[in-house]
Amino acid sequence: MFTQADKRCTLSELVAQVKDGDVLAVGGGLSWREPMAALRELIRQGRRGLTVVGSAHGIDIDLLCGAGVVAASGESYVGFEQDFGMAPNFRRACESGEVQVRDNCCYTLVQQLRAAISGLPFMPIRSVQGTSFEALHPEFKTMTCPYTGDKIVLVPPLQPDVVVLHAHFADRHGNLRIEGPPVADILFAKASRKVIVTVEEIIAHEELAEIGVTIPYFYVTAVCEVRYGAHPTSCYPNYAYDRQHTQYYYDQARQGAEVFRENYLKPFVSQCPDHQVYLEAIGGRERLHRLATWRESAEQWMSLYD
Amino acid sequence: MTEPIRTCTLGELMIYQIALTIEDGILAFHGFGSPQVQLALHLAKRSHAPNLVLVAGATYAVNPSPLFLTPTSNDFAMSVGAECDLDIEELFDLAASGRMGRMFLSGLQIDRWVNMNVTRLGDAGHLKLKLPGGGGGCNLSADAEHITIWTAAHRAPPDQQGRRRFRLVERCDFVTSVGHRTTDGSPRRGKGPDCIVTDLGVFDFDETGHARLQAIYPDTSAALVAENTGFDFPVADDLAITPMPEPDMIELIRRLDPMQIHRRELSHDDQTREFEL
Repeated sequence: MFTQADKRCTLSELVAQVKDGDVLAVGGGLSWREPMAALRELIRQGRRGLTVVGSAHGIDIDLLCGAGVVAASGESYVGFEQDFGMAPNFRRACESGEVQVRDNCCYTLVQQLRAAISGLPFMPIRSVQGTSFEALHPEFKTMTCPYTGDKIVLVPPLQPDVVVLHAHFADRHGNLRIEGPPVADILFAKASRKVIVTVEEIIAHEELAEIGVTIPYFYVTAVCEVRYGAHPTSCYPNYAYDRQHTQYYYDQARQGAEVFRENYLKPFVSQCPDHQVYLEAIGGRERLHRLATWRESAEQWMSLYD
Repeated sequence: MTEPIRTCTLGELMIYQIALTIEDGILAFHGFGSPQVQLALHLAKRSHAPNLVLVAGATYAVNPSPLFLTPTSNDFAMSVGAECDLDIEELFDLAASGRMGRMFLSGLQIDRWVNMNVTRLGDAGHLKLKLPGGGGGCNLSADAEHITIWTAAHRAPPDQQGRRRFRLVERCDFVTSVGHRTTDGSPRRGKGPDCIVTDLGVFDFDETGHARLQAIYPDTSAALVAENTGFDFPVADDLAITPMPEPDMIELIRRLDPMQIHRRELSHDDQTREFEL
């Protein structure tokens, strides 16, 4: 239980909750509400040997792989969909053996989180049988159901050491409000040992209670206000996905580890001492304003994908 | 005045073939990274399947009216106008309890029983190519009532040494999702896949669960399909040419996908294939 009255802290204090070798869950999914500012700070702090777990992810896991932070991946998908395709850093790190491949599937992950949340030694699942995931995950066991006689798979609890989330609002006590799809964030928050959160805005408790609490405070370890903390992924309604920046990222990553380090990691991560400097590096107020124009019209919204 | 529509592209024809597999009144989920399927579901709901419970992949929005198709699936533009929303566990619980009528899956390797691989090329000891992974495909391949399989990369042109890298393969290097029979030959539970829509034609399955060529396109043939397939397959006695979509359906697809995101699934050459209606 995390019960302290005021959980606000700096971004570097927040991220210092993650230790080398931890199992880290990352919130959001694909190009939506990934805690990118916290991940950049994690890289700056030189964290190593993390096992990442999650459902469908993109630039977040790819960035961590490109920075040499990850030792194993238990994600169900890491890529850029039909937008750019395969995730270059993730792919390279897996193929070189630097990152151990422990792919998972979405419902398997959900059931494992549910086992952790409910304090059970396993959860049953019907799928997975007949796939290569059985060999990849020897910890999954098969048993005959005592009620139906059917064969079922048992999956053990998954309790991440830390989950890092980016939410729209928090109060200082750590109650969180997420707008739009929560992806696996609520499950992760309930299953993880520590929950660290960046938010667009910290507001008064009364105001938060009015709009509704998505995740109760006692799950939450620490919060930090980081506006545009999901950039270049989206955090609607505040801002859309920054496709131009992602295109630049992808083009550098595709050219190899060295080019990626020089042309992306240096200017946007290691040489940015903090998030404010990053926001200037990506184009400052003008760029950020543009990402908020999605509401103006369908044409304007569509133009953000050019 | 716009010109009347007299032709359709390969992408539009494939979207129509996928839409034809969608029953009215069921719950179907389009997943992510699947623009042809996303458009097929919206086409079905606006034509023959008005009571379809359309669940959008990644956002889990129910019956949305996207303003335009986006290149990434978890985007507010894809969930605009939704009637309600599910969350991740609810969607997968619906499938596990038998209430997902149809799911759509693809693979970089697809075998004769439609086991599929989107995880890695090379065997466990030697990883040749790490693919993005299957999302929830492993689970849904076993839990959804019916599966439509699609791939826009069936054609496997020979390289300079004359070798072809097949999409429809003799054997998958990794089985991400299950088809009709697992690799050890044991049959699956449930009904499973009933259709494969490709850039060369449409397959159904024989009584053993083996893929069978059921229809071709006006510019393909059974011989061409065989040449581009890594396993032998039966051909339906009444092998036909697929039906063509109506002009208003094509217009709808073009309106839903003004950026032509679905064309990104097609090879460069296939983007210029057109068919007379």
